[in-house]
Amino acid sequence: MFLFRLLSFIFGYVNILIRGESLEKFLNMAASRGIFLWDIKRIGQNEILVKTRLSAVKPLRHIGRNSKTRFNFKGREGLPFMIHRIRKRKSVIFGAMFFLFGLYVLSSFIWFIDIKGNHDLSREDILRITGEAGLKVGSVKFRVDQDRVEKLIRERMPEVSYVGVDINGTRATIEIAEKIIIKKKESQPSNVVARKAGLIKEVLVLVGDPAVKEGDTVVPGQLLISGVIPPPETLNQDPPGISGGETARRAPAYPPTCVRARGVVRARVWYEGYGEVPLQEEGSRETGSLFSRVRIKIGDKEIILSGAQNIPFNNYRIESSIKRPPVWRNLSIPVEFISEEYHEVEKYRIQRSRSEALELARKKSLELARSNTKNIEGEYHVLDEKTTEVSPKNPENIVRVRAYIETLEDIGLEKPLK
Amino acid sequence: MAWQDFKKKFKRQMSDMLEIPSEIIMDLPKVVLVGDLQVFIENHRGIVEYSAESVRVNVGDYEVAVYGEDLLLRNILPDEICLEGRIKSIQFVR
Repeated sequence: MFLFRLLSFIFGYVNILIRGESLEKFLNMAASRGIFLWDIKRIGQNEILVKTRLSAVKPLRHIGRNSKTRFNFKGREGLPFMIHRIRKRKSVIFGAMFFLFGLYVLSSFIWFIDIKGNHDLSREDILRITGEAGLKVGSVKFRVDQDRVEKLIRERMPEVSYVGVDINGTRATIEIAEKIIIKKKESQPSNVVARKAGLIKEVLVLVGDPAVKEGDTVVPGQLLISGVIPPPETLNQDPPGISGGETARRAPAYPPTCVRARGVVRARVWYEGYGEVPLQEEGSRETGSLFSRVRIKIGDKEIILSGAQNIPFNNYRIESSIKRPPVWRNLSIPVEFISEEYHEVEKYRIQRSRSEALELARKKSLELARSNTKNIEGEYHVLDEKTTEVSPKNPENIVRVRAYIETLEDIGLEKPLK
Repeated sequence: MAWQDFKKKFKRQMSDMLEIPSEIIMDLPKVVLVGDLQVFIENHRGIVEYSAESVRVNVGDYEVAVYGEDLLLRNILPDEICLEGRIKSIQFVR
């Protein structure tokens, strides 16, 4: 049935009002001659409405003459009539053609460039090189030579091991695989210095000369394990009985050797945090209810596109964003599109007991201290967590708490020797 | 007339025996009803009367009369008629 509808739409069909005495005879004659009629509807005593194909109209006239009926064309539907109607409106055709042409022209430019897979290389650098090779936003799609772009990127950026340029519609996708440059194992002589201040708990020297011992307090940057190994003095002392003159001659023959110092220096490190909570707190906070309004401003007039005229809150905070059409030369269109969000704000007042405030301040200070431990490199474990209330001489309306977290961690940091 | 009756009888027996649909051998109308919405009448000989309340179709020896409301001839083909509307009754009129 759908196919039939489609076909009759394509070929066009007409509604005909047929008037006459012997309509049944007319229908029989039409059917027997193979003229296809459908949706035959009796309207009045001597009137029927039929639909028929455009091509069947001429033979129907013949039958009509024979069966003494009269025709009245009521409606013309289908593609042939539509084309006829559209032909009268030249500007519509012109507009449609213009639209298609514009679509075609605009789709032959590259409007977006995506770069995938770059970690260390910056997007700007890559874009600069592709621009030199003729691929930039706004360049004509057909003139872009993908091979040339790929080649130029490979030439200019030795860090790139693979580059693929793919143009899909108005979007160019540049896929890049960077070479993984394996860092050479550092074999140059180096010291181990303290990364942060702490109390040394244990020193395990693998290579080098220890400069600190357990129980020492160190400051950041202090030498922990030295890469400079002094000449062995044992030779000087070992043979105590033999002549002293011989050793004195030998000693300067050994210059200090330089090695890459390695080892684990664990130290106790303290992290501090501070939190304060007032006993009486006043302020304002957002309730979470939101009212948004969109306005358009044309010249001095404002039209509310959506949202009510009155803001349903007493206290509120406004977040508005204004969009203006781009200014060209010194011509600007005096239209602004303002979308505003009103966040309801309420005043609050909290009265806390001393113990409540203390608990809160403790939490706050500990959290702060914990956040400091977050950027510790490597393994560590927490030895102790302490909070102490800072009590001033004069009683205050505020509770202050200081928190300490004590950790045990490796504070060694390799630092090359100069 | 006796000859005619004999011929009919023979044809019916033939169609029963050979299991050929009788509407083909005996040139009978085939009336298909779809609920009270549609009637298909195959093997017709033309429309005798057509109005919104009743449609009579010549099917050879007799007429098939369809009574209902808002009857509409969906289509007419040389051997098939499709009727739509609210069908109330169908009669065979001799």
